[in-house]
Amino acid sequence: MPRLRSIKKLPKLDMNPMVDMAFLLVTFFMMTTTFKADMPAEIVIPFSKAELKIPDKDLCMITIDKDGRVFIGLDNKFDRKQMLAYVAQQNGLQLSVDDAERFSLLSSFGVPFEELSAFVTLEKTARKLYPQSGIPTDVENDQLRHWLIGSRLANPSLRFAINGDQETPVYAVKRVFDILQDLNITRFNLITDTEKDAS
Amino acid sequence: MLPELDDIQVEKVNQRESENKANKRAVNVDMNPMVDLAFLLLTFFMLATTFSKPQAMELLIPAKPKEELAEKEMAVKESKTVSLVLLASEVKWYRGITDPQAQSLPYGELEPLLAGLNENTEGLVVLIKPLESSSYGNLVDVLDALNYSDVQRYAISELSTFDLEMQLKKEVDE
Repeated sequence: MPRLRSIKKLPKLDMNPMVDMAFLLVTFFMMTTTFKADMPAEIVIPFSKAELKIPDKDLCMITIDKDGRVFIGLDNKFDRKQMLAYVAQQNGLQLSVDDAERFSLLSSFGVPFEELSAFVTLEKTARKLYPQSGIPTDVENDQLRHWLIGSRLANPSLRFAINGDQETPVYAVKRVFDILQDLNITRFNLITDTEKDAS
Repeated sequence: MLPELDDIQVEKVNQRESENKANKRAVNVDMNPMVDLAFLLLTFFMLATTFSKPQAMELLIPAKPKEELAEKEMAVKESKTVSLVLLASEVKWYRGITDPQAQSLPYGELEPLLAGLNENTEGLVVLIKPLESSSYGNLVDVLDALNYSDVQRYAISELSTFDLEMQLKKEVDE
């Protein structure tokens, strides 16, 4: 009987250290993780030798996709809300409190004022499928300017980064540069990927 | 106090042990579901996290000139300017404005050229001239080369008639 018991006990592994380790790692990842913000458009960022890290917070990301559509995204929910409040007030947009709350959850968007309330009230899945036409930047209807002023007012220490696709026409980017320059935002970042040595 | 408590517990355990063996086995908690869960979460967080943050390139553009100064354009010596016309796979570059001799260069070789020019010319001004068809990737290549060759002054500027003629010629050639 004693012999039998010892054989039966043999395959038992002490799982505790493994569990400890697993939970340690889980905790670590939970603390350090920042979720990938879902991008409204597929962006292939250009390569450069720059080695600056983009700031973690106080970042306003201006995305320009290869069709020249412009999207804007702030990293902070409260800043987004304030930006919306300013823009809505300046342009007489009617948005309910619920809509403003929903807007503040969008990591990035690119619709003109006219479509904004319809876009915001959509369900999450429907919103993903919505064909966003980009924020207008033309001289007569420069809506990007309003959003940028609103974002700057919401958070004065905001930094601006331009996230362009390799294929984006230079003139779309130049237009955004001009708007930034016009607003006296003369220092901003261009998001790039580290150059591959092989290429 | 404490030793007494211990005594009670030990007593209880002894009691149970003496009762039957099945009771003793019930103390063993099955950890497997917990481990499964822990690893599931671990995998999720590992996949959802972004470690490699994209790099950024800093760009400083001049502030908008004040209105009273807008009229006064800054004069730059022609001999100190270098124009870069961004074609799809190469750069056309030339010095000066009157009777320029344009040369082609692939994007990869821009940096040594600019570094050389910058060393020989004091106060070099580089004019970047993107075409209608140029892409942002080309612009970033040029800006990168400028940053690394220490050129202090550069601007994105409009195409001159010479550039337009050259572009047309290029299109005819192709």
